[in-house]
Amino acid sequence: MKTRNLSFFILLGLGWTLTAPAADLQFEADDTLPLVYLNIVVRGGAVEDPAGKSGLTNFMGEMLLRGTKVRSKEQLDQELDQMGAHFEEETRGEAVVFRGAVLSHQLERFLPLVNEILTQPAFPESEMKKLKGELISALLEEQGRDQALAGRHFDEFLFAGHPYGKSVMGKVKDLEGLTSQDVKRQYESQIRDGRITILASGDSSAVARLQAWSKTLEQSRPGKEDAPRVAAPKATSGRRLIIVDKPERTQTQILGGEIGFKMDEPDFFDFYVANFVFGGGSFHARLMNEIRTKRGWSYGANASVRFSRQPRSWRFYLFPAAKDTPAALETVLKMVEEWRDRGVTPQELDFAKTSLINGAGFLLNTPRKRIENRIQEITLDLPEGFMKHYAEGVARVSVESANASVKAHIHPDQLSILVLGTAKDLKEPLAKAAGIPVEKVQVIDYRKD
Amino acid sequence: MQKRPPLVWLAVPLLLAACSSVPKPEKIPGSEVIHLAGKLEATRFKLANGLRVIVVEDHSSPTFAYQTWFDVGSKNETPGYTGLAHLFEHMMFKGTRKYPEGKFDETLERSGAENYNASTSQDYTDYTQELPSDKLDMIAELEADRMVNLVVDEKSFSTEREVVQNERRFRTENSPDGTLYQELFGIAFQTHPYRWPVIGYEEDLARMSAQDAEAFYKAHYAPNHAVVVVAGDVTPQQVHETLQRHYGSIPAVQKQPKVLPSEPSQTAARRKTLKLSTQVDKLLVGYRIPSESHEDSPALSLIQSVLTNGKSARLQRALVETGVANGVFSADIDGSDPTLFIVGANLQKGRKAPEAEAIIRQELKRLATENVGEAELERARNQLSFQFYAALDNNHSRAAFIGRYEVVVGGAEKALDIFQKTLATGPEALRKTASRYFQDQNRTVVIGAPK
Repeated sequence: MKTRNLSFFILLGLGWTLTAPAADLQFEADDTLPLVYLNIVVRGGAVEDPAGKSGLTNFMGEMLLRGTKVRSKEQLDQELDQMGAHFEEETRGEAVVFRGAVLSHQLERFLPLVNEILTQPAFPESEMKKLKGELISALLEEQGRDQALAGRHFDEFLFAGHPYGKSVMGKVKDLEGLTSQDVKRQYESQIRDGRITILASGDSSAVARLQAWSKTLEQSRPGKEDAPRVAAPKATSGRRLIIVDKPERTQTQILGGEIGFKMDEPDFFDFYVANFVFGGGSFHARLMNEIRTKRGWSYGANASVRFSRQPRSWRFYLFPAAKDTPAALETVLKMVEEWRDRGVTPQELDFAKTSLINGAGFLLNTPRKRIENRIQEITLDLPEGFMKHYAEGVARVSVESANASVKAHIHPDQLSILVLGTAKDLKEPLAKAAGIPVEKVQVIDYRKD
Repeated sequence: MQKRPPLVWLAVPLLLAACSSVPKPEKIPGSEVIHLAGKLEATRFKLANGLRVIVVEDHSSPTFAYQTWFDVGSKNETPGYTGLAHLFEHMMFKGTRKYPEGKFDETLERSGAENYNASTSQDYTDYTQELPSDKLDMIAELEADRMVNLVVDEKSFSTEREVVQNERRFRTENSPDGTLYQELFGIAFQTHPYRWPVIGYEEDLARMSAQDAEAFYKAHYAPNHAVVVVAGDVTPQQVHETLQRHYGSIPAVQKQPKVLPSEPSQTAARRKTLKLSTQVDKLLVGYRIPSESHEDSPALSLIQSVLTNGKSARLQRALVETGVANGVFSADIDGSDPTLFIVGANLQKGRKAPEAEAIIRQELKRLATENVGEAELERARNQLSFQFYAALDNNHSRAAFIGRYEVVVGGAEKALDIFQKTLATGPEALRKTASRYFQDQNRTVVIGAPK
């Protein structure tokens, strides 16, 4: 049965390979519809924001879309919209990805505009002011969305001063202080040929044009230096609990976790499969079964691993009713301990492997997904083709190797736990549930910058 | 600037082909072929029990999407039992005699199912999966089985109700946006079922029993109330043979004729301000509009595009570029019954919702009194054309596009017709449509302000 399952995956893997007609362009043909999707991946992202200037990389990326030396923002917007095209920027911790999408017959008109945006920015002061207003307002608006707010505070709490704990959007105070000189410096250092890879998919008639265009872009932004790598984050000692205090919550957000590991470490697949058993995206995962199916406590409950160029995080997440929160936290913490102490069973592992292997083809079954995989490989320092060997990696996992990886990476006594909820109702019962003296529980206002 | 033909000229030939339904003699009896776009075409046929089936072939990967769309949503509920359609959607994952609780999920997950989900709207409920192409028989058997053999017991109902109550806390009670949407529809509609939220009211959820869910199931889940869309590495013949085998013996259930109360005309503007857990003002403005199958629907789509599609759209410039709002959107909600055209905005720090509301009203008035220029119309059409193609980009989204149009307007080809008419809408028709619907007495405003 496994052979048949694997053959499905291998068929997908062998059938589709990225073509690379030029050093900096990788293309996936898809002639079903007259569309071209363009991704310009720049290594290096928000972790490069200098101290006191959080949000600078994202700000710079946004400013590139707000005017060039020959066109105002209004003219740029109109030109893109006239084509029915899209061109947007996405800043991550260690990458900036510019994403374009255009009807293929508009490509000739679209590519010079993209070139102009990336190579002739103007960073006008008037747009700086407008963008600050928009980003600061977006940060304030986020305070009304509990899930996003809890996620931002959890990263800050877990990474305790490390760049991985910084919000990509930055802090209000830092955004207010950004200058056009800061933005120009960031642009000069980050938007360089040595950091850029271009990946596209869609109408195959676009390849030659894209190839010529990518060379032009390369020549316009010379520079061979790659993005620097940040130091690895350090684990905090002891279990910690913080409450993000927000009034009148009938539901809380619970996040807990610790520093994780890199995707290219030898036991990546072992832990990945073991985590699938514990809290991966399955209705049969332990967390989902105990928290949602048996008790009806939370609409969702999961555990996930996030990856970066350095070890990032493993974390669990659930959002029970406020009244169920202490019991839910206590239950999850016991489950983490049991998972680490007793590991996963052969039956659980067999189910997880079968499910992951059979589903592996869906990591590769569209051109755009294959491009996303390649972006992940480029931005996480993974070898080319890493994602194609996913099913083989999963197939090699044994009960022993899975359980050893859980013991290596999970430390229940060092968990950082965040609960967004109403502190006056929850502080004491949560301290008890987490096994932490109540005086050691930190409480912060949800409006903290 | 180089002169290029507007996108509409590319789209029209494609769409001329799209609208002709040409039966292919060698295919399934009674089947018809609908050309979608590019190389995509759909084959539609019906089983004797009334189950409608649509197949879109694409052999570029050994996978397919399988979606079941039921012609039932929250509009089919009765007062006092709001949220039953959605709660029942959760129950569909519980179990049958053949596949007891947990077995359905386990079978799908073992097979590597992707996009394995379900959703409920005001008009429909859909169940979706993507699977490796050798799993067609398996999914057809599972879906046919739960269409008719579901076991609804009190214990699993009670646990699932708690899950839904928690989902309600997540989506509505603790969410400023969710609260505002509930209020907007609750105020804009007074008699039609669109007035209550899909997730239901807490007191109604608490009142329901497994018997209520069972009765809902018997009334609404049957082959003649459903559309199955299969998109990907399959052939129409293969799908026909497989579905006939699994669904063919399921009897049709006569649709209970239910005349939904028609919403009386709105005679005065309505508004409400809520104090919410938010740091910025939030605004929703809704105008009553007809159903998606109405002849004005294409012009309303084009208006939506003129207002907010793209960064150069009118409300983007009037609200975001001026520093009044942080973001703005508009949506001509596509309902099977008359519904709302919504404009929404999150205000910037220190700005107040009434300021944005005044600008929105001014822009809508301009649309109703001045013709939109040709260049601006072309921009709006091009944005919509891109969206149309992007909606057909992969098996999952193709199946969703087709399924939704089948249950909301009665056929995927009508989506193509609406799209073609949208591209053909001229400035005069657009202005007349705007003046017909964007009237003061047709407006409902809901504001969320910081506590």
